[in-house]
Amino acid sequence: MNRRSLVERGLIAVFAAFLLTVPWTIPLILNAFWVSVIAEILIWSLFAASANLLFGYVGLLSFGQALFFGFGMYGVGIGIDHFGLSFWPAFGLGIAAAMAMAFVSGILAVRLTWHYFAIITVVFSLIFYFIAVSAKSVTGGDDGINFALPPTFSFGAVQFGFADANFQYFFILASVSLCFFLMHLVVGSPLGKAFLAVRENDVRASLIGLNVYVIRLIAFVMAGFLAGVAGALFAFFGRYASASYMFYTFSGEAVVWAIVGGAGTLFGPIVGASLFIVIREVVSTHWEHHSLIVGVMAILVVILAPKGIVGLWRDWVDTPPPTGAELPVTTELRTEP
Amino acid sequence: MTGSMLKIEGLSKRFGGLTAVDNLSLDFAEGKLHAVIGPNGAGKTTLFNLITGLLKSDSGRVLFRDHDITGLKPHQISRLGIKRTMQIKSVFNQLTVSENLSITRQSAQRFLHPLRPASRDRQTRERVDEVLEQMDMTRLAGQIAGTLSYGDIAMLEIGMAVISEPQLLRLDEPICGMSPAETERAVSKIRELARTIGIIIIEHDMEVVFGIADDITVLAQGALLTSGTPKEIADNEQVREAYLGRPEDESYVDEALHA
Repeated sequence: MNRRSLVERGLIAVFAAFLLTVPWTIPLILNAFWVSVIAEILIWSLFAASANLLFGYVGLLSFGQALFFGFGMYGVGIGIDHFGLSFWPAFGLGIAAAMAMAFVSGILAVRLTWHYFAIITVVFSLIFYFIAVSAKSVTGGDDGINFALPPTFSFGAVQFGFADANFQYFFILASVSLCFFLMHLVVGSPLGKAFLAVRENDVRASLIGLNVYVIRLIAFVMAGFLAGVAGALFAFFGRYASASYMFYTFSGEAVVWAIVGGAGTLFGPIVGASLFIVIREVVSTHWEHHSLIVGVMAILVVILAPKGIVGLWRDWVDTPPPTGAELPVTTELRTEP
Repeated sequence: MTGSMLKIEGLSKRFGGLTAVDNLSLDFAEGKLHAVIGPNGAGKTTLFNLITGLLKSDSGRVLFRDHDITGLKPHQISRLGIKRTMQIKSVFNQLTVSENLSITRQSAQRFLHPLRPASRDRQTRERVDEVLEQMDMTRLAGQIAGTLSYGDIAMLEIGMAVISEPQLLRLDEPICGMSPAETERAVSKIRELARTIGIIIIEHDMEVVFGIADDITVLAQGALLTSGTPKEIADNEQVREAYLGRPEDESYVDEALHA
């Protein structure tokens, strides 16, 4: 193991310990409001991870992830409000709807690459945004759907649900962590390596026997899953579903978070989403043009640190210390366990 | 002779008004090192692209061991064990040499496991080490492919082509741009590979071609000019004509004529 992965393991342990104690530490340091901000950051990180899986690992720049986020949201909202579903079936409906939509749109979209792909994802997003806004009876139009949340678990008279702020936080933390863990497994697997091959050189990928189209489609549906889970969680969190989260500019935010944090890294989306939401929360109370800061930072990162904040950090850690002759790791296989 | 490995029947490809490959029929026998030569624009690379499935032919058939592969997708053809290198070297630039090899190896599997760590695949690791050694690239294993010298990238590309035990290997100008030392190394590797794998090579360096090929096919303007043993080709009047007046070509056939 090299120095970087040791340092990063340590950081992850600290980060995990922090996340696990948020409901008690944050009210002491700041106030209880920030617990829900952190829950929100977790959801947005997952949403950014969805854009990152496509852009950072497979090389597809999607401005359509909001569509699948929206389907996750509406799956939950419509499931509870119209069909009277309980918590878990509504959760499942949201995720299934997002994945089904990703599959159907992916069949068409992943035939294309680069700007054509980016454009078609925007087009899909716009089409369904306008459908959602106009289909008032189903989606609630501009107002969205507000619903009362059923409990998550009930054991006789004892119920656990999002009404309990701590339960809400930990449910979101567990769901997001599970998704990131799955993504960690996937990017290290033969399938994840095939993603990289397609990102790096799609002609070579086909010449070594990979079906590039199918691999892109699998990635697209997986990204739809991540966005769908994020959308479903956000619907539970906000107790409503709205078409405004399906607009393509919202997809663009996920792309920006992922790129600023570090596209092609597992933690990039978390870093990016955390940074921008903290900026938003801190600055927006004083200054309404907080998105200017986001814009300037995005431009600076793209120009000065194309690998994002995580990439910057890695370059910094990987640079051997001037005194250190203790690092004979350069020839070591990166693929070794 | 053991019969035909790759057979091409009446293959044609037009790009607008240009006929790159013109009703071409060829037969590459099993167990030989074949070279395809011809002046620039003779249709050599187009022919390779048609066999690979990167281009669709307008007419004609391609048979691999009597199995019709016309119209198959590149990944399907690759899975039949027909591997190739590109004229413009094509590897995964941002990944390390050993990652390039292990991805290539694992991609030949029918099922890509989505959850098990790729690095835990012992068989792949062993095979990667084997090929690294075979290509004399063990010391470069951890290096990012895009930072290698041109010759090493070409060797890596050949390594990627052989790691999945191909039936037929097609090399498109493998030594183009190599230093004399690299050329020598590459030529001896190709010779070594030819002992177990059928190889078709496109090459402009006539010294190399005449040094290693068992059988030479000469193309001109998309059609077969002639084919035969190196000796027959060297003595062929038509071939000399096709290459005549091309001083930039390193053909010793030319040089002999001008001397």
